[in-house]
Amino acid sequence: MITASVGILVVLLLWGTLVGIDLVSVPQGLLARPLIAATVAGWLLGDLHTGIRVGALLELFALDVLPVGASRYPEYGPASVGAVLLAVGLDRPGGIGAGVLLGLLLALLAGYTLEWLRHANARDVHRTEDELNAGSVAAIRRLQWAGITRDLVRSAGVTAGALLLATVGIARIGEAASLPAALTPALVGVGVAAALSGAVRNAGRGRRLLWLGIGLAAGLALVLGGVA
Amino acid sequence: MKGEGRALLRLMAIQGAWSYERMIGIGMGFSAAPLLGDLEQAEPARHREATARSAEFFNCHPYLAGLALGASVRAEQEGVAGAQIQRLRTALCSPLGALGDQVFWAGLVPILMSLSLAAIALGGGGGVLVAVVLGYNLVRVLVTRWALRTGLASGVQVGRAVSSSWLPRAAAKVAVPAGLTAGLAIPLTAAWLLAARPDGAGLLAGASAGVAWLLLRFGGGRMTSLRVGLMFAVVILLWTRFAP
Repeated sequence: MITASVGILVVLLLWGTLVGIDLVSVPQGLLARPLIAATVAGWLLGDLHTGIRVGALLELFALDVLPVGASRYPEYGPASVGAVLLAVGLDRPGGIGAGVLLGLLLALLAGYTLEWLRHANARDVHRTEDELNAGSVAAIRRLQWAGITRDLVRSAGVTAGALLLATVGIARIGEAASLPAALTPALVGVGVAAALSGAVRNAGRGRRLLWLGIGLAAGLALVLGGVA
Repeated sequence: MKGEGRALLRLMAIQGAWSYERMIGIGMGFSAAPLLGDLEQAEPARHREATARSAEFFNCHPYLAGLALGASVRAEQEGVAGAQIQRLRTALCSPLGALGDQVFWAGLVPILMSLSLAAIALGGGGGVLVAVVLGYNLVRVLVTRWALRTGLASGVQVGRAVSSSWLPRAAAKVAVPAGLTAGLAIPLTAAWLLAARPDGAGLLAGASAGVAWLLLRFGGGRMTSLRVGLMFAVVILLWTRFAP
């Protein structure tokens, strides 16, 4: 069992907050992808290898998500940070599966906070309707900064919750309990189905689907040939 | 144009005040403000009208919003009627949303993430991810700048500029590499994640993938991959706890 210092937890909180606002508000620069968010979290915790593995597995799930417009979707960024903290903290076989399970749960819950954010922004717009219709630049500026600040607070809250749950998980599971060995392979299986489902949906039909099949055949050939 | 740099910077946060009420409208108004500065001094009344219009309901892909922003600012400066500018914005919503979603959310992002997964599975380290993030953000900045400049240069003719640009061609072609790279990455990543695991792990993963695929395919809209993952985890935890 490994416990992170308060200093590292603060840095993880800052990273998770940045990752959280990257998803929608600013800058939308791939930081919110689980593979990126988790790898950096692993590096900060001194265990890059576990960070990449947790990130890769969560990324398979994220490949099934198309984050468009007003649709409700899970938020994997801050969840990945909490997942890595748990996996690194447990430091034993099965830790990655436990971390990813926490990550999935957190991603689901964090998705609901995005809806809260959108409704809160809408209420703010409602209250400022007259000023907006009168062409007030100050009102627009105020609403924009309020929205970004709200998302910052939301992201920080979600990350703090993720880190808290991971820390409690490390303490509760402790050294004693063994982790179910079947958890990681089962989640890898579901991740494969998720990524494939997203790829088939994106490909549609015909020639595009054929290219997906060619890619799959090439990947399988590399695996069976012992390259990977 | 005066204020272009500031508008470009603000476009990076166009979704900062995203709401069900006006979607990215407030972000559009915020980004338009530096470009409408000249109008404020020359025609204050028209500036107020233009500002109000700039923050009205609008939605499209965030990276391409600059096309609509530039076009409507140019139209405001040329004195085009307000109703026509509103119609222009409305007409741009769907095509810019669809093109952007296809090129970026369903194209470039899955391609880069799939390539990253494949590279890591084949022995690449964290350096791959640094290169991917830097490269993607360079593309993101260049596309945003191109969109703003094209919009400003085209005004109400922006639709013609978009249809003759690289964008529709990219949207038509990007699905092939997206499928190819995803197909390549999935088995490689699974094998890498399962390497050095005890015998039977591959079999369990394969069976899980099969059942999960069926649930995702035929389980209805509420059966998302995340929920299926959580369901599997709960079943395994219960089995481990209570199995004889």
